[in-house]
Amino acid sequence: MFRAAFKGVFANKMRLSLTAFAIVIGVAFVAASFVFTDTVSARFDALLETTTTGVDVYVRPAQLADGDVWQNTEVGSIPEDTIASVLATPGVRTAEGGVAGFAQLVNKEGDAIGGQGPPTLGYSWAIDASMSPVTIKDGNGRGPEIPGEIVIDANSAQANDLAVGDTIAVLTIGAPEEFTIVGIASFGESDSLAGATLAMFELGEAQRLFDLEGQFSAISVAAEPGVTPEELAADISTTMNGDIEAVTAEQSNDEQLDVISEGLGFLNIALLAFAAVAVFVGAFIISNTFRIIVAQRTRELALLRAVGATAKQVTWMVVVEALIVGFVASVIGIGVGVLLAIGLAAAMNAFGFNMPEGPLTLLPRTVIVGMTVGLVVTIVSALLPARKAARVPPVAAMREELARPQRRSLHVRAVTGSVTVGVGIAALLIGLFTSVSGDIWFVAIGALVFFLGVSIIAPLAADPVAAVLGWPLPKMFGVAGQLAQDNTRRQPRRTASTASALMIGVALVVFVAVFGASIKSSVSSSVTDSFPGDFSAQSTNFAVGVSPAFTEEVRALTEIGDVSTVKIGVALVEGESTSIIAVDPTTIDTVTSLDVSPGAYEALEETNGVLVVESLLDENAWSIGDSVTIEYPQNPGGPTEIVGTIASENFGNYVITESAYIVGFSNPTDYLVFANSVDGVAIADARAAIDGVAAEYPNVKVQNKSELVADAEMQIDQMLVFFTGLLFLAIIIAVLGITNTLALAIIERTREIGLLRAVGMVRRQVRRMIRWEAVIIALFGAVMGVGVGLFLGWAVVRALAESGLGLFAVPVSQIVVLVLLAALAGMIAAIYPSWKASRLNVLEAIAYE
Amino acid sequence: MLEALLSTEAAARIRGGTKIYGGGDAEIRALDDISADFKRGQFTAIMGPSGSGKSTLLHTLAGLDDLTEGSVYIGETELGTLKDRDLTILRREQVGFVFQAFNLIPTLNAAENILLPLSIAGSKPDQEWYDTVVGAVGLSDRLDHRPSELSGGQQQRVAAARALVSKPEIVFADEPSGNLDSVASGELLDFMRTAVREFDQTIVMVTHDPIAASYADRIIFLDDGDVVDEMIDPTPDSILEQMKHLGA
Repeated sequence: MFRAAFKGVFANKMRLSLTAFAIVIGVAFVAASFVFTDTVSARFDALLETTTTGVDVYVRPAQLADGDVWQNTEVGSIPEDTIASVLATPGVRTAEGGVAGFAQLVNKEGDAIGGQGPPTLGYSWAIDASMSPVTIKDGNGRGPEIPGEIVIDANSAQANDLAVGDTIAVLTIGAPEEFTIVGIASFGESDSLAGATLAMFELGEAQRLFDLEGQFSAISVAAEPGVTPEELAADISTTMNGDIEAVTAEQSNDEQLDVISEGLGFLNIALLAFAAVAVFVGAFIISNTFRIIVAQRTRELALLRAVGATAKQVTWMVVVEALIVGFVASVIGIGVGVLLAIGLAAAMNAFGFNMPEGPLTLLPRTVIVGMTVGLVVTIVSALLPARKAARVPPVAAMREELARPQRRSLHVRAVTGSVTVGVGIAALLIGLFTSVSGDIWFVAIGALVFFLGVSIIAPLAADPVAAVLGWPLPKMFGVAGQLAQDNTRRQPRRTASTASALMIGVALVVFVAVFGASIKSSVSSSVTDSFPGDFSAQSTNFAVGVSPAFTEEVRALTEIGDVSTVKIGVALVEGESTSIIAVDPTTIDTVTSLDVSPGAYEALEETNGVLVVESLLDENAWSIGDSVTIEYPQNPGGPTEIVGTIASENFGNYVITESAYIVGFSNPTDYLVFANSVDGVAIADARAAIDGVAAEYPNVKVQNKSELVADAEMQIDQMLVFFTGLLFLAIIIAVLGITNTLALAIIERTREIGLLRAVGMVRRQVRRMIRWEAVIIALFGAVMGVGVGLFLGWAVVRALAESGLGLFAVPVSQIVVLVLLAALAGMIAAIYPSWKASRLNVLEAIAYE
Repeated sequence: MLEALLSTEAAARIRGGTKIYGGGDAEIRALDDISADFKRGQFTAIMGPSGSGKSTLLHTLAGLDDLTEGSVYIGETELGTLKDRDLTILRREQVGFVFQAFNLIPTLNAAENILLPLSIAGSKPDQEWYDTVVGAVGLSDRLDHRPSELSGGQQQRVAAARALVSKPEIVFADEPSGNLDSVASGELLDFMRTAVREFDQTIVMVTHDPIAASYADRIIFLDDGDVVDEMIDPTPDSILEQMKHLGA
């Protein structure tokens, strides 16, 4: 029986390899996701280890309750004199304090270097070279010794043609300043730390620049020989008060690795989500292929039964075939996944996230998961066809009519399909509209079940839909058109399941398009409504806002009148980390028109309380006058009175005063700066004045309202392009499914095509017939996909209405283009099958069994 | 002179036709320098033992297969020089086919199947001729039925009607009654003979059944890829006699 299975695979290698493609893609994405993450961690692990070789323990500010919340932006500091007690601790060989902060380099053209991805880091220079994370590259100068000197990383130097002796402007939280490059540094062997830019200054200078006079960000400690880092960390900790902690370098590295992995988490989730889509679409194609193959081999299977094979053996034969296909495809998939991971690393490098050099990491876990996914999906997809194979009666070997597929009632299908759709929609709506825990899973699984349900019902729709879609064909192409239409209608199940694979991809693309269009229209309307001001300024640096020095200069301009700023930070409200914004209640109303409760700003100013978004108020059954506990990174905070509400969630859930912010957070930069021109000054003149200031701050972007909207829309578009690009791969898989179905159908219809050729159908007509059959299938899938996608988009947009995504927008032209593309994809899918059909030898085709 | 006269009378002819399959030791000479004419308005049966080359002869005459050597003419057209497209159009316009089985497109009804060659060509049927053929074949009340709703005999008669509907130069039939019982077979062959006698059509039929062959005006006997005998106005008995003779 196993030999029969192997022979079955080889006899069907063409059709099975098309099937296998879907598995290859799915497994490849799973493998790529793991390989990439593992490789990144391993390489960074190695890199971080080399940068901390001389350090055993770090003494640093204690992390507050939720350690991850304030990572990087709110690290805090410890008093300089802490070092005395550290040095006094037995087992400490040496210790040195340093500061870290934000410093962004400006290149010779006056543009800010980096900042839109990897961090722009500033450090003080360690006097003890063994404690320094970096080393001066041979022949590239020395460390900074006096104020005004800077060492930069080799990667930034090389990319921007900077050398020792050059003068360079540096942006910090204060006004920009110029420094002389005295050295170029590398991290161990690597020129770059994941593309981060690095600026290092003499300690006192760094403390001044980062606004940390008399403070250290951390103290690096080296242990005496024979003292383990763990012992030393424990010993130092006992001498410190609760605000300061000592951790081993290893632990600190692990934390950094976690941050890096978290940063890559988005990519990881995207890859795995896509793998899921590919595998799901693939399951349809596999199931379809096996079903057709079983149908075509009914006689052969019956013969096996007739000569003594049991039903179980026949089932096993099909399952083993699936196993072989799944195995081969998974192995190839893992290989492709490794290549994909390499490509991904190259792409990351191209975008400036420099990966450290090092080997690729392929863990056994990756292989096991990849193989399992591939095998399980293939076998599960083949199970139903396999059971069908087992039901072939032995007598079918002799009697043609029994060998034909029996038409089963569609009533059962209508019921199961409707129930499945109902369950899917219910789960979806529960996930979207109720605050049940794990709602994202409700949505994901609900969507999946919904897709399944639609695909179960689809055969019922196949016949009428094909009749409508194919209606013009007989008029356009005569009998070739009529046959194209008829052929899509003769096996509704096959047409439907082929189209269903495409439906999924199209539905997801439509969903993303609807979601994007809705966000865009919501964003532009909320920006237009909320910001009546003339200008806004924000930082192009992901990590840091606009320097207060910029804001002061703008305030000083005679052309500019009202100026108000918004700051943003992450705090713990009632124990949950959430972003919180700070405004100046006396001026914010002059540049924004946020929908707040009457007198809210005045109350905020008076009480130093907090404004809460309306929806949260309802959700938590809070009311004005209640208190919420807010814990800030830089101070313990405490109960804060709710003094008003804000309608829109566009900003953040909580609004506090700027004065409360300054006590609670160390980051003094502005998230947004709004400014109005003075009455009587031409907008263009005001713009010129503010642009003049911004020229000194290359990381500040000044925009008027329409630019702000355009900018927001462009960012949304970029995300859409990324997701749509990934989802198009799902469509390509589905298109291969169409190719596969048609290729199999042509084998079934060999005699028919031979007959048509014999009675005078020219090759072009044969190709046309198959091409239009493919187009109908593709359009059927696209139409279902558009429907399902619109529904999903509508549901999600409605669900997010209270998060400020109120407007449901349908990008009609995009959807029309997508449907046309689907038709075109159908034509492309038909190229190979139609060519093959038109090349059939007429005589052999007629004689074909 | 005689050649010219013959050619105008012949709907199809083969000259020095040789067909070799395979090569080396496996070489099979299916047709061996065969020449034959098929006159207009005549019903010709081709008989011969298995492997005598009768099917190959039919296929090469019909332009479904090509000759290794020699030439085939449908009317005045030499098939060997035609490209696939022209050959296909020639089949559509000047040749009709009836195969042993699977003659019809399952998704089309009887009427659509009959009109298939015309539909493919995008041309209108000659309504009078269509009615004549459909009437003669006795299927007027079955025209909207799908093939799966027709009996085997009815299916073959639909095929025969389809072969005739475009008024072809010649119709080729390959064991058309091979799968039918004697009643259905008789109905089909009657119709074919009627088509020749009354409507002046030309039919060439391969068969191994003496009764079927007896409907023909003329029989040519093949063996080893060449014509070995010919019989005019055969009867079942005379055919059997001749077959015995050839077999011996």
